[in-house]
Amino acid sequence: MRGPPARHHDEAREQLPAPEGLIADASELKPNDRVVYPSQGVCVVVGDEEMEIAGQKQQFVRMAREEDGSAISVPKNKVPSIGLRRVATGAQMEGVFHYLGAVYDDPELDWKVRHRDNADRLIAGGVLGVAEVVKGLHSLSRLRPLPTKEREQYDNARHLLVHEVAVSLGVPPGIAEDYIDYALMPPAGVKFDLKPPPAPVLLPSRPKKRLPVAEEEEGGALADLGLGDLGIDLGALDGALEGEAVAGEEGHGEGEGEREGEEAGEGGAEGAEAAGEEEAPPPPPRPERKPKAPPKERKAAEKKERPAAAAKPAGAKVAEKKAKAPQAKAAKPAKAAAKKGPTKKAAEKPARAAPRRGGKKK
Amino acid sequence: MIRIVTLEKLDPADLAFLTRTLYQAFGLGTELAGERAVPSDVETSDGRLDAVKLLKEVAPVRTFADDKVLYIVGAPLALPPGPLGEPPCWGFAEYGKERAVITTANLPARGVTEASIEAWRRRLAREAIHAVGHLWDLHHCYDAKCAMHPSWSQSLPANPEMELCSFCRDKSERKIRLAKT
Ligand SMILES: [Zn+2]
Ligand SMILES: [Zn+2]
Repeated sequence: MRGPPARHHDEAREQLPAPEGLIADASELKPNDRVVYPSQGVCVVVGDEEMEIAGQKQQFVRMAREEDGSAISVPKNKVPSIGLRRVATGAQMEGVFHYLGAVYDDPELDWKVRHRDNADRLIAGGVLGVAEVVKGLHSLSRLRPLPTKEREQYDNARHLLVHEVAVSLGVPPGIAEDYIDYALMPPAGVKFDLKPPPAPVLLPSRPKKRLPVAEEEEGGALADLGLGDLGIDLGALDGALEGEAVAGEEGHGEGEGEREGEEAGEGGAEGAEAAGEEEAPPPPPRPERKPKAPPKERKAAEKKERPAAAAKPAGAKVAEKKAKAPQAKAAKPAKAAAKKGPTKKAAEKPARAAPRRGGKKK
Repeated sequence: MIRIVTLEKLDPADLAFLTRTLYQAFGLGTELAGERAVPSDVETSDGRLDAVKLLKEVAPVRTFADDKVLYIVGAPLALPPGPLGEPPCWGFAEYGKERAVITTANLPARGVTEASIEAWRRRLAREAIHAVGHLWDLHHCYDAKCAMHPSWSQSLPANPEMELCSFCRDKSERKIRLAKT
């Protein structure tokens, strides 16, 4: 079996459906719904709440992260853009395992392409996209050790997958991880009777040229998508009081943006570019389709996107507010605080145009 | 603090080696917290012990915040089957939480020679570090030289290392530091 396909050409974009279960509007969320927030983990919806941000009343959806109970609030109007999706069904999960158990040995070798595509898969690829990141980096690791940032990306993707599998199959995370690795690295003598795996996630092409966006924007975008957080250590987020700071933990601090830079050995300056791409927010015009772009409108959307991004209120950063849950472990604030530096740094990078997200091919 | 609880008799010298090794791996005080009985109704139909149920029902030991408790049993452990079948079970940990159990049933024969006993101890310590690693939020690692590599992996040598790789070690240290502050 071959690995996930390369990002495809523009013409194909029209055929990309939204990843299954993507939440296109906050009104789709009901209390007790279980959702995957790619930058945070598996969450349960608590309900609506109203908060005053900089003197303005704003509507939020309040969620609780399953693994530690931390409270997470997202402005309702941001819901379509954060990659929020329903926890995979049993049938989808079965497909994921048949995918994980299949053999493929052609990992993407261009780290720049790989890292960027993987970031997209985590946010917009649904559960299969997360599994693709884990499997892709795992198979690459058999050729050579992963560079630091990708080692973290691997760990974060694994964290997300472990918890989604746990919730979807109703088993403790420790067992979910054994299931995953049983499929990825079967013991000697074990052969699986595999069904054809689901079609891999297709990623639409990205704009080739990107216009700089106001620096603040990029920071805000980062915050919104929390892409950096895909490098997240979820545990450390709960102490933070403000959204951005929150994501800061392993979030923006060690986010894609940061990581790209470190990878100079492998990719040099290009890393920064990839970083920028990942963090821009999806266009507001088509909330229902969030992270992944309806192919056809893409060019048009691109134009709209930049202004949209620029129009983003500076206050957006504070939008996501997290309160420490009672059972949250102590000491998280220190970590979050420690990461503020990198967050800022990320924000200082020249921004790029909004990214197009991949969708799942049916 | 890591507290070791035995559900089978182990040689004091083996336990001393284990205690020392866990202390070195995590930099956390490690002590023996006594013996407990295997709960009565955790046996599965094939004579193994239901790992999840065992951790739920085994008699607790006194703990303080962020203590980790490692139970050691002699009988083989069972997990519920997953989508592709039941993975081999060397242990089970409540990821990020307090309790884990490991079994000595899959270890190589302890034997009577110095070399075989040493190999047995090292493998026991490796599985203990693996389980406690999960309690400190560590996931599995692709590095076969790391204690967090899956215990059944074909990449694992006969006498695998009992250390954490630098990534896993750094992550555990970060988690432990956070817990302390
Ligand atoms: Zn394990
Ligand atoms: Zn490791």
